[in-house]
Amino acid sequence: MIGATLTAYRWELRKLAAQKRTWLGIATAALAPVVFLISIQISKVTPHDGPWDTPLGPNLRHSGLAIDLVTLKLVAVIGPAIVVALVAGDIVAGEDMAGTLKTILTRALARGHVLAGKTLALFSYVIAALVAYGALGLLVGIAAWGFHPLTNLSGDRISALQTLALTFPAIGVFALPVVAIASFGLFLSVLTRHSVAGVAGTLLYALALQGLSALTPIAGARPYLLVNQFNAWHDLFQTPIAGDAIDQSLWVSALWTAPPLLAAWIIFRSRDVAT
Amino acid sequence: MSRGATPIVARGLVKRYGDLAAVDRVDLTVETGDVYGFLGPNGAGKTTTLRMLLGLVHPDAGSIRLFGRDPQSDLIPALHGVAGIIEEPRLYPYLSGRVNLELLAAFDRAGEGEAAIEEVLELVELRKRADDRVSEYSQGMRQRLGIAACLIKRPRLLLLDEPANGVDPAGIRFLRDLIRRLGKQGITILLSSHLLAEVEEVCSRVAVIAAGRIVHEGSLDELRASAAPSYRLQTTDFERACAVCAELNALRGLNVQGDELIVGVEDDEGLVALSRALADAGIGIRSLVREQASLEGLFFQLTEQPDAAEVRA
Repeated sequence: MIGATLTAYRWELRKLAAQKRTWLGIATAALAPVVFLISIQISKVTPHDGPWDTPLGPNLRHSGLAIDLVTLKLVAVIGPAIVVALVAGDIVAGEDMAGTLKTILTRALARGHVLAGKTLALFSYVIAALVAYGALGLLVGIAAWGFHPLTNLSGDRISALQTLALTFPAIGVFALPVVAIASFGLFLSVLTRHSVAGVAGTLLYALALQGLSALTPIAGARPYLLVNQFNAWHDLFQTPIAGDAIDQSLWVSALWTAPPLLAAWIIFRSRDVAT
Repeated sequence: MSRGATPIVARGLVKRYGDLAAVDRVDLTVETGDVYGFLGPNGAGKTTTLRMLLGLVHPDAGSIRLFGRDPQSDLIPALHGVAGIIEEPRLYPYLSGRVNLELLAAFDRAGEGEAAIEEVLELVELRKRADDRVSEYSQGMRQRLGIAACLIKRPRLLLLDEPANGVDPAGIRFLRDLIRRLGKQGITILLSSHLLAEVEEVCSRVAVIAAGRIVHEGSLDELRASAAPSYRLQTTDFERACAVCAELNALRGLNVQGDELIVGVEDDEGLVALSRALADAGIGIRSLVREQASLEGLFFQLTEQPDAAEVRA
């Protein structure tokens, strides 16, 4: 059972690695902090304007470690949705349209294993894109503004090493709602059987989530909306480090992740493959 | 896989798309060692039937057994030893031919490894191009790679859907030779095609499908024998002979070719009735030559008038 899923996963990774869209997505993610840094360098905005108002924004131009973290706030939710949609919306629909789905579904792996392999590969892509984002952001940030301590959200100075150690866990926490969006993209990919519909639908979904969070009548439900989970990593940059928002993000994101995956599985396991 | 079980037994298969019955109560039996032709015009229901056999499409009614196992309820065991190409081989164009085969071998979980891949690449004569991307392959090469993808599964039953589609004459010849060789190796083959010549050349038994229904099943010889003969008739009075034949109930069919009448008769009694009617009308017979119906003629007869053909079959 696990062996079959791992076989599908390994080959899904290999297929993703051979496709341009995968690298386009990873490059888009990796270049986001670079573009942001360049825009800061060439802009004439003064402190207390624009990005300086975002969490950890005052550290811009003082510590290269700030660039990844500030960009996280600026790009959420649409930025990750663009990167995710490129692959999530296509991962099943693309094969359906190309006819390769029928090729692999007549071999010895059950449909559940194939879908599980695709899901794991998609989540791996999300992680790879975020790691690329973090790594390149740190490199260019440190090169431009140095490896200096950071003032956290509580106003305390934390060392450069501690900031570095917290950056990737922060990106990891940020990945939780991104995975939830990816799951919905996968669901759309299975449901629509059309790459463009899968990709565009995922983006629309992210936009709708943002719109939903702005609705006043559901203000009480805001902590349980996916958009709010994009800020859970702030817990790591408080004194002392908090965990409540991260805990909540874990289960809220899981609640937004599981239903689309379940729906995708129900559809995929029993539907006709007629293309 | 049950060793002694029949490779394919399908009974009462039905698949509807809205009001259209793409497959309508199809029965199919393919015995061990058959190179079985599944013949019908485009849109007759061949591909949908093959999809159901391979578990890609769920029938609305009917049952399927592949070597005794039901692909609808027990797909993976049922497909053990079964491989197929539906419509045309669809492989990953951004991967090389070899990597495609590695992927499918991994999905088969057979652990056959590199040696098996080299062997099938050799068999389909693709070894030299194995490391090129599939996007650079010709249609014929893709068909051969598709067959290689089937063969790494070490199948006992091979389902091929229109393998000659889009392939040049040399490629078609290669594919037919390959199918014959595979048949001689003991692989049971179901070959779906709309090309009568293809089926005639390589198949021992045949099912003809039209408008979703099987209109003939049996050997090619049985199919030939099922056709009543036609007679080429020349008379002293063409116009009146036409009128006489048109009124004669004993005739199965009547066509005109130049100054000749092509008349179909069910049996000798019909022929006697024709001779008498012409004599009674004072029309002389210049020549009456028997013609055996061609397989092609039969195919068109069966597939263009499925309801009538079904009654005869």
